[in-house]
Amino acid sequence: MSSTTPQYDVVILGAGVSGNLIAKELGLAGKKVLILEAGLAVPDSREEYMENFYLALAKTPESPYPALAGRQGSKLNPVGELPDPATLPTPRATVLSIGKAPNVSYLVQQEPFNELHKNDPNPQNPPADPKTGDVRGLQFSSTFERNGGGTSWHWLGTSLRELENDIRLETKYGHGRDWPVDYTELQELWGLAEREIGVAASVAQQEPLEVVGLKYPSGYQYPMQAIPMSLVDQAVSGAVAGLQVPGTLPNTPGGSDPTLYDVFVSPTPQGRNSEPYDDRRVCAGNTNCIPICPIQAKWDPTVTLGKALDTGKVTVSYQSVAYNVAVEGKNATRVDYYQWSRDDKGNLTKVSKSVTGKLYVLACHAIENAKLLLLSNNQKGIANSSDQVGRNLMDHPLYLTWALAPQPIFGYRGPLATSGIESLRDGEFRKYRASFRMEIGNEGWNFSKGDPYTTTMDFIQGTNNSNVNPPPGGSGQPIRLGGLKLVQQLNNIFTRQFRIACMFDQSPLADNRVTLDVDKVTGKPNNVDGLGLPRPKVEYGLDPYTMEGFRMAAYVCSKVYERMGATEFTINGVGGAGDFTYQGVNYHYYGAGHVVGTHRMGVDPSSSVVDASQRSHDVQNMWIVGSGSFPTVCTANPTLTLMGLAFKSARSILAALGS
Amino acid sequence: MTRRTVPSPPPIPDSEIQDFADMSAALTGFESNVLKPALDPLGLSRIYYEFALAQVGSAMTTLLNAYRAIKTQPAQQIADTLLETSSSSPSTQAQLAQSIVAMWYLGSWYVPGVLGGGGFAPPPLQVISSVAYTNGLVWRVMQSHPMGYSAFTFGYWSQQPGSLSSFGVNTGNGGGQ
Repeated sequence: MSSTTPQYDVVILGAGVSGNLIAKELGLAGKKVLILEAGLAVPDSREEYMENFYLALAKTPESPYPALAGRQGSKLNPVGELPDPATLPTPRATVLSIGKAPNVSYLVQQEPFNELHKNDPNPQNPPADPKTGDVRGLQFSSTFERNGGGTSWHWLGTSLRELENDIRLETKYGHGRDWPVDYTELQELWGLAEREIGVAASVAQQEPLEVVGLKYPSGYQYPMQAIPMSLVDQAVSGAVAGLQVPGTLPNTPGGSDPTLYDVFVSPTPQGRNSEPYDDRRVCAGNTNCIPICPIQAKWDPTVTLGKALDTGKVTVSYQSVAYNVAVEGKNATRVDYYQWSRDDKGNLTKVSKSVTGKLYVLACHAIENAKLLLLSNNQKGIANSSDQVGRNLMDHPLYLTWALAPQPIFGYRGPLATSGIESLRDGEFRKYRASFRMEIGNEGWNFSKGDPYTTTMDFIQGTNNSNVNPPPGGSGQPIRLGGLKLVQQLNNIFTRQFRIACMFDQSPLADNRVTLDVDKVTGKPNNVDGLGLPRPKVEYGLDPYTMEGFRMAAYVCSKVYERMGATEFTINGVGGAGDFTYQGVNYHYYGAGHVVGTHRMGVDPSSSVVDASQRSHDVQNMWIVGSGSFPTVCTANPTLTLMGLAFKSARSILAALGS
Repeated sequence: MTRRTVPSPPPIPDSEIQDFADMSAALTGFESNVLKPALDPLGLSRIYYEFALAQVGSAMTTLLNAYRAIKTQPAQQIADTLLETSSSSPSTQAQLAQSIVAMWYLGSWYVPGVLGGGGFAPPPLQVISSVAYTNGLVWRVMQSHPMGYSAFTFGYWSQQPGSLSSFGVNTGNGGGQ
């Protein structure tokens, strides 16, 4: 141990969901806390971020953040080109850089299959491994932010609880891995998180989900009334009444579950205000939760950061990128970081600094936590006696389907999603295939096809990129329209568009992995960021268990559309990032931004990185927090649970400080 | 001490802006007084006309003159003529008219003749401004609001929207209010 007194009780790395919540809890208890945040400060007002969004040529999740790059006409990027991550102090994974080379993509990944096979006259998807059936060499497609507030600036707000069998998957179904946390304790932690966020929901509306094991403590009440279902939700809900689907389809590897499961729609518990709450406004249905809520009716981590700062015990140091956690014996003793600045011309300068605390919390994001752990101790790594750091990288791979309803159902109105089909999240089928939830979108084909742009330009220019403007009679050119005919045609299409997104409880695989992009022999970095630090290298693939989930999801979506009398327009590509083939059928997955698994929690230090409190098994005064601790990705969107776990960590940190 | 000033060019006369708005109304299917209201806090018709002039120069004036020659015809006929909707290969002038329609609908400038591909629209050259984005006609056509700029209140999404005419479209069915 160092002989000098540490400067802080606790040093936290990262001002996102977990870091801010823990800082607030410690500050309220009178502890002296420093947060090192890698990126830019939280702006006083979100107007600049809104302007970035409005002016962005592509309204991707990253488009409002931060102003350093990407916005056309900004001081540092007059042309709006995708910046080279090697020139940026805190480069991030972006939607626009998926499948691109390291001069554009921060994450260093395998090239997409079609790039590797450019001269192939018959483009294909990567072949499955003949022994395991796994498809390897895929692109990890989730992205994240590195600025004050973190990625949850653009979370959707979905605040579902996990199911009991989600965290007991191994015991119950012999697949995946159990969580080391008690379900009753999680229920209490979710309650805390629901009050912090301000979750709008009704327990009575959730009660039908007892069929998948969702239960609340007796008398539990959400902090505010539920968000009303959209017209799209109502249309889907009415149409699927009485629909049942089997647990598995014919030819499912490993076994079958012929049980029939009810398909029904449930309103989603959401972290957006249905009543004034916490001095924030009521949701006005801006239909823009991702990339940015213009009025902060949706909770985001800056809300909790404000409360942390209000304690008077918490300090934030922005533009501070940690690159080493020094460890002596079983204790972390110091964090080394670069404080960076950038002038108007984009010239970057950095100053190396160090800071000490009694305890340390890594709350940088699942991929950044793994990177920092592997980078520390001169790239020999820390907290990694289990060799699990960076492994078991998971997401909710997202299967998107889209359709035109037979009559107007008015998508593009309301929060981006207000309901889902949660009734298929649990069953015996989890022995054989991945479970999934189905999110109903209130944004037409915005996610699916980049609408309203694609369809509008199709009817103006006479193209058919949307597939709703095929040549009349099947040959010749698509039509072009103007005047009132254009109004009526676009009204006819846009008011009938909707989509369903299915998210899978992907298997944890040791080879799905974050490592440092360094030369294996010399240790020299291959690709670096603007501070000279090695970048994360990501390897990713899907196993048959997960892919069988996609096959089932495609089946269920087709049944839902059939019931509605809707026409499905889903396209699955070949050879591009996110494309794969399973049992002869092509599928496409998107990232959900739910990055988990890279420092998983467990009881056994030989097979896990942290314990149930997210405390490192190896380094006793260090907590590694966030969704990276999840042993499996489960069937709920992760933010509510990762905040619940942060409450648990805060308690164990306070206990450790008291001892 | 004397200070030399460079005289700024005279502003484009209001009558020319009115012609542009009237042409735009025919092309887009909206009423001229929606695009250029009598009390106009945004001045989009002037902004768009000047933007198009800066992009394509005299081709814009030529298109406007083509409109002036047929301005007494019914609106749909004007749109079909200027956009050459029955032609299999629209002229560069018709492609410019397409870009004018796209500008009003999407608030962005699409370079005339540049088509989308691979399943998506062409990237615009520029979003003209945040005001242009939030005032795109496409949001009215879908009976909603711009994504990221709602003028409605909590829970509106659970109710049927107002008619198209309440969003400024004269559908020609006598239903306009």
